[in-house]
Amino acid sequence: MLKKNSSVHTMIVEQIKDVEKCIINFENFMRAATTTETVHETLRALFIGVQDAEADADRSLRAMIDSLSEGSFLPSTREDLISIATSCDKVANKCETIAKIIVFQRFRCPAIYAEDFNTIFTITKEQFELLENSISMLFSKMNALQKDPSILDNIRALESKIDRIEDKLQEEIFTMDISLAEKMQISHVVELLCDLSDIIEDIADKIQIMLIARKA
Amino acid sequence: MWIFLLLSAGLFMGWSLGTNDAANAFGTAVATRVVKYRTAIIIIAIMVVLGALTLGHNNIDKLARIATNNEVSASIEDVEAALEAGTLADLRLKSALKAFIVFACAAVTVFVMSYLKFPVSANQSITGAVIGWGLCYADYSNPAVMKGNVTEILEFASTWLINPLGAAIISFAMVFIMKKFIEKRLTSMKNYDMIVKIGYLAAGAFSAFSIGQNSSASVTAFYYDSTGLGANLIYGNDGFFTGARITAIIGGVAIAVGVLTFSKRVMMTVGGSIAEISQVDGFMVIVASALTVLLMGKFMGIPVSTSQSVVGAVVGAGLVNGVKTVNFGVFKRIAIAWVSSPTAAGLLTYLVAIATKSYFA
Repeated sequence: MLKKNSSVHTMIVEQIKDVEKCIINFENFMRAATTTETVHETLRALFIGVQDAEADADRSLRAMIDSLSEGSFLPSTREDLISIATSCDKVANKCETIAKIIVFQRFRCPAIYAEDFNTIFTITKEQFELLENSISMLFSKMNALQKDPSILDNIRALESKIDRIEDKLQEEIFTMDISLAEKMQISHVVELLCDLSDIIEDIADKIQIMLIARKA
Repeated sequence: MWIFLLLSAGLFMGWSLGTNDAANAFGTAVATRVVKYRTAIIIIAIMVVLGALTLGHNNIDKLARIATNNEVSASIEDVEAALEAGTLADLRLKSALKAFIVFACAAVTVFVMSYLKFPVSANQSITGAVIGWGLCYADYSNPAVMKGNVTEILEFASTWLINPLGAAIISFAMVFIMKKFIEKRLTSMKNYDMIVKIGYLAAGAFSAFSIGQNSSASVTAFYYDSTGLGANLIYGNDGFFTGARITAIIGGVAIAVGVLTFSKRVMMTVGGSIAEISQVDGFMVIVASALTVLLMGKFMGIPVSTSQSVVGAVVGAGLVNGVKTVNFGVFKRIAIAWVSSPTAAGLLTYLVAIATKSYFA
């Protein structure tokens, strides 16, 4: 029973690593996208890297779900783990969606927002690292996480930080001297970028609910 | 004919009890999908028969005596008089008919209340039915007989308080002590799931064992001839398979059949809505309740309500986390069912006893 469940643990770790790889590729993509000198072909090549990583994350999600059906976790735990894994996969999906919009719509980030975009992404990455740790704790130090869920609180605090940056950006975008179509395009990309943080926060909430349900 | 009547009534009662009491052993585990329904009923069926085989006979003697005192079963004097008059066959038939009526009234009450999704006590219904019959035939002019009857009724009624209270105390102590011990071991979801799964399987099996020990007597005690003079179906005290033990095994098998055929409905209904308790507390509640039932059988020799002990244990566990966690509204609803089931069974039997008095008197 423990051996089977360990294989599920390995699969989940692999799936999260694939999502992380997608995030890293997306980070490289975003840094290039917010640099004015980057040529479109370079961006397209980086986009393919994001797509490939997203496909890998999808595959490992399916493998993880298959391994769960063979494992001995309780049905409620299986449901929770699938929910967490599919939500993590949404992070990779969202990265791909944003990259797709940027490449296909030949989106150019205004230079004045480059720093804010990168800040959003740096915070999101930090959030994901915390999330990765908390998921790992579910398999090794669950009672410690139950006693001290501050890591989950930190994820939520970072989401609030991103919210504030998003509000500032959304307000500023519509005061710019550009066409409404451009404003809408930038606003949409900002919204999608900040969605990543919301998804991670939702996963943190799910973990907290799991912990409460499993309190002795 | 009389054997068929007696057998059918007791077996129906056992079946009915099995449909209801299975929920106490594995209700929470099955409802929360920790244990599959099929696995649960197989474990219950085996453990119920085992409980009846090893300890079930303890309660048979006492219940058989109560049945005799309440005019349901024949007394030594009745049998001796019948032997002298050559009417033993008639006495057997009448005893079988009376037992059949008592069983039938209790079984109908349990079946109807189970259908209405009440965690009703079959043991109490049988007691209520026996007392209902006895009240119709009681010699109200004889103070000694009256005193004996009242003592018996009070002894039985006391279990309605001692049983849930005892379960609550045992459960409170167990949950309070074990919580800290188990909490340290919940280092991962793997451990948590393993502890919960093994805990529920072990607790459910133990609970089913206690049901076999406790309830087999309720459904077959009237088969047993405590006089040893052949006025009833089963008697004898030789070897391992004494009359009382055989009687208990028959009861256990009848309960097991009920568990295997019609227990899903009640099992899915009972799920720990009385108090907000965790899954870990859940299996400790089952162990505490089963332990109480076994102790009641050991020290009082009276079949008690397993539903009552479960409810008491749930309240005890809930109290560890504070009074506010206990849903006293649901508790009240179940308590009403405890009172109403023996009352309804008693009333029904009393009415049937009045209607048939001209035949049996």
